[in-house]
Amino acid sequence: MGVQPAIVSAGFSEHASKRSDVNMAELMNEAIEDALNKCNCTIDDIDCVINGNMPAFEGANIPELWMTDHIGAKNKPFMRVTTGGTTGGSVAIAAYYAVASGLYDTVLATSFEQQSCGSTTVGLSSVALGEVSIYLQLGYDFEKLRRNMGAGAAIGIGAYQAINYMRRSHCTEEDLARVVVQNRHNAAKNWWTHLKMPNITIEQILETPYISYPLRFGMVTPASDGSCAMIYTTEENAKKFTDTPVYVNGVASVSNENAIVAPEASGCGQIDPCEQLSATISAKLAYEQAGISFPEKEIDYVEVYSPFPNQEFMWLERLGLFEENTAPMQYREGVTALDGDLPVNCSGGVNSTNAIGASAMERVAEAALQIMGKAGNQSPKEIHTAIGHGWGGTINLITLSVLADQPRRKYKGGI
Amino acid sequence: MVRLEYIKKQYTRTRRVHGNWYLASYQYKFNVKRINQCLEHLRKGELVGLKCRSCNTVSFPPRLICPKCLKMPDEWVHLRDTATVATFSGTYAQEAGDTEPRPYPVVAIRQDGSDTTWLANLPEGYDFFKVYVGMPLKVKWAEDKKGDFSDIEYYEPIEDPSIEMNKKEEAEK
Ligand SMILES: [Zn+2]
Repeated sequence: MGVQPAIVSAGFSEHASKRSDVNMAELMNEAIEDALNKCNCTIDDIDCVINGNMPAFEGANIPELWMTDHIGAKNKPFMRVTTGGTTGGSVAIAAYYAVASGLYDTVLATSFEQQSCGSTTVGLSSVALGEVSIYLQLGYDFEKLRRNMGAGAAIGIGAYQAINYMRRSHCTEEDLARVVVQNRHNAAKNWWTHLKMPNITIEQILETPYISYPLRFGMVTPASDGSCAMIYTTEENAKKFTDTPVYVNGVASVSNENAIVAPEASGCGQIDPCEQLSATISAKLAYEQAGISFPEKEIDYVEVYSPFPNQEFMWLERLGLFEENTAPMQYREGVTALDGDLPVNCSGGVNSTNAIGASAMERVAEAALQIMGKAGNQSPKEIHTAIGHGWGGTINLITLSVLADQPRRKYKGGI
Repeated sequence: MVRLEYIKKQYTRTRRVHGNWYLASYQYKFNVKRINQCLEHLRKGELVGLKCRSCNTVSFPPRLICPKCLKMPDEWVHLRDTATVATFSGTYAQEAGDTEPRPYPVVAIRQDGSDTTWLANLPEGYDFFKVYVGMPLKVKWAEDKKGDFSDIEYYEPIEDPSIEMNKKEEAEK
């Protein structure tokens, strides 16, 4: 077994649709300052820095060249990670590995996205262009392809998942809107979130027009500017830096792609987009490392990556927290509310704030802060074990971190 | 349009400088070995999928590598001309002739006999609200075939006996 990694602090910048007052480097710096202020650790204690975002969105490739000074990476080992929507989750896992391997004691994990700088559409196009141009070569009508691709980006994948999930579980659009209301109400109580809507109702959401059936304008994630930073360190150091360290007891990153677009893209030939085998596998791997046998009983708090409300149902079921097709019922009964038995996304979730590169790390950071009792919208429940989940990459990469207030007891298997 | 209000904070503006990327000239490579063989069959009005001998996964359109076991599939199998809707969604768009945005169905189709899906088309103007997961379809071949994917003009929805059977089942309950 390697070194036991712990999280001592997590910080955020304020998120908004246009952070017109700062540039990328300054935006990233805000989160780092917040993270350092929350513990007894200074920038001199940091041995290694990891950074990630989705470069095409801002139009600045290799952005770390610009921001080295702003993130305190000067004269230090530096690593950059980017895996699309899961970038943040992968940065968190990279920081975990850096500490667990014993190579570095204290690691600063940083991730950001300033979508107002550039064009999200161009960013996403540059992901798919290689594959799509093959389709055009093979006699696919451009007009039809353009329309199909309109539903083929992230929102399209969300819509496919929603269609198949609704068919399985018979959940209604009202159920979807209920998830959004819970998230936006939570976001209103959290200082750093983007869409703070304290008074929104299910009816208001159901009045907005469809973007991509069955997802309505009011249900989908915004595009935000924001950043997140976390400090990982060893078990011994953790006690010096803070009174409330959170231990990372298991991580997993599993890809199980569902290629809908390209003729010869990778993919496992998953027919049903809401099957999400990779979530089930990553949960199994991470829970096993953390010694969790009964996730539905042992896990107290959940942060899932759900830009679209139907995904929240899907992830909670695939990650073993609810029985299949029962998640909509649990939402109806208030189990997942701030004061419920299993609070979910008390930060407001990706549904209220989505700075893409940072989003998946914000899930881990919020889960850690909830255990520490320092979260912006703290659940009244005593939280011992929490998970932070990420989704994205090339459609179907899952990252998962299992956090607890105690180091893992017994350990088997590799890191 | 309905607007959802949220609490907004005003930020001061820093200086902004404009910049452009011209993303016009990339050279993407792709291996046509398998896909060309498949397209030759399309010209003849036949559908073929590529089968992995190790795990029996059939891909259509053919893939070079088996996604399940990483072997090179090398056995061609004939596929029927029927298919099912694996998943679908609708994009709201305002095309020429539309007075307001309306949903256009976007369907991922699984050819019967294969284990993969691909984005194909329904007849032009097909009602989005009639589409459902599991809907049976049949290939409508183009008049003059060119040996590419345009040979499949679209997928024609066909009669679905399961609807009647499900209704009966419901009624009996
Ligand atoms: Zn195989």
